[in-house]
Amino acid sequence: MNRTIGLLRRELLSTFVSPVSWIILVLFLLVMGANMYLSVLAVQGDLRQLVVSSYGGLVFWFMFLVIPPLVTMRSLAEEQRQGALEVLMVTGISDGSVIIAKWAAASIFFLTLWICLLPLWGALSFVSQVEVGILWTTNLGVLFIGSAFIANGILASALTAHPLASAGLAFTFNVALFMMHFFANLFRPGDIELLWIEHVSAIHHMVDELARGILDLRVLIFWGSLTVLSLFLATRVLEKRRWS
Amino acid sequence: MIEIEELSLSYGDRKALNEISLSVPPGAVTGFIGENGAGKTSTFRVLTTWLLPDPSTRRVMVDGIDLLRNPREACSRVGVLPEQLAFPGELRVHEYLRYRAGLKRVAAKEISAETARVLQAVNAADMTQRRLDTLSQGYRQRIGLADALLGSPPVLLLDEPTRGLDPRQITQFRQLIDELRGNHTLLLSSHVLGEIEQLCDRICVISQGQIRLEEDRQAWTKRLSQAGRWHLELSEEVDQAEVTRWLKDQPEIVAVQRSDHTWSFRSDSSLGTRIGEHALESKWVIKELRSEPATLESLFLEWTGTESADERRVS
Repeated sequence: MNRTIGLLRRELLSTFVSPVSWIILVLFLLVMGANMYLSVLAVQGDLRQLVVSSYGGLVFWFMFLVIPPLVTMRSLAEEQRQGALEVLMVTGISDGSVIIAKWAAASIFFLTLWICLLPLWGALSFVSQVEVGILWTTNLGVLFIGSAFIANGILASALTAHPLASAGLAFTFNVALFMMHFFANLFRPGDIELLWIEHVSAIHHMVDELARGILDLRVLIFWGSLTVLSLFLATRVLEKRRWS
Repeated sequence: MIEIEELSLSYGDRKALNEISLSVPPGAVTGFIGENGAGKTSTFRVLTTWLLPDPSTRRVMVDGIDLLRNPREACSRVGVLPEQLAFPGELRVHEYLRYRAGLKRVAAKEISAETARVLQAVNAADMTQRRLDTLSQGYRQRIGLADALLGSPPVLLLDEPTRGLDPRQITQFRQLIDELRGNHTLLLSSHVLGEIEQLCDRICVISQGQIRLEEDRQAWTKRLSQAGRWHLELSEEVDQAEVTRWLKDQPEIVAVQRSDHTWSFRSDSSLGTRIGEHALESKWVIKELRSEPATLESLFLEWTGTESADERRVS
């Protein structure tokens, strides 16, 4: 456990001193700030609708799908390429500890981005009524769905030694989870046989449930399970190198 | 100590190590030599548990721990200086070593003292505040060695430790390795055979995934002295057949070759006097008699063949 925490601290240090992380943070705040401003205009003063408007639009989903691959693309892929992973693993640290530390570090950075948005909501709450409950459930969704997307990114990063390929792969995983529901609605709207897609759909869970203040434990369990599955697979991929 | 019995390692269909057996006694510095692709780094990677050997492998013991049964425990007995050093450039030397000490299970209250000890051991105590990405190649190697020394592992694996160093740094590095002799079991991989000759108590030659030779210093020094080449040039009046016959009759002389009035052959360095005496008796006029001592390089080519593994792969 101490080793995992030690590695997590090192990962966090590396993340927060990296200029790339700060560029991502600044771009994220600019884009999401602008998105929130446009959402305020769109809801025409009815700030109770602001959460759905801010967290349901294309800008939100673009950031939500693009940032996790960017955050995770270097975590294992770059280290494999440079030989740093070998230097790390020969200390006897377990594969699982490495995966968990890297996932936790990326998740903490990802969450930091969203936490940085909270002062904006705080400022808005001074001028009008903001639905705090909805804000909580929405951010819980960001936490759980985001963690699963980060875990997918870690899995992609374990699968390849090239950061860009890793980012592409993670983006594909996450977009597949996003697009499945989109295409089902586009080509076969109302088809009862495709209702199961709603149970695995990030859009449905976020826009139709969490951003409306509906907290269904099954949703959190689903995304938590997907996170565990991706991390388990990433650990197996890392172990597989020993039989190369 | 390291005890390897019938270790095999395959990359797909290609066998990188083919049932190699090797014994490295405690406290000794053993040179591990071979061409590129011979299997040196693969052996190191098995000993650090980065790669798992084939199931047919009989035994790999590291400091008395069975690596096949208890890889993590065995791994903790090994410090490694890899050929390719990959440091997180954003960290300072002391931050990096503290982090590595934590990973190597050095007790939290001992980390500061341990970090100071290894930096002192590699003569880099003044580098603690330097960022890793600003270090010269020589200091990078030292910090890599300091990392390997963290936790005082009984076994040290050094893969090409003097690669990229200038002559002064090489001398300092050799002194450093010399100081570690006796306290650690060292397996040193290098292409610089002069360095192996100078530093090692034992040598182990690997080629095409197989151990070709494993000898201690005494044995290979004797081999070197016997493998020296003599050149004898006589005046034109001598009977060439008689000279060749006499040389071939001497039991310690082998590989006699003649070109006009010049003979070359292999024998130990004590032969000169006897040739001189016989030349006097037989009234041979010696124009030149000189011996060329054998080097580890020449023996290495003999043991492994003149073609490198890379060349073999291409052909």
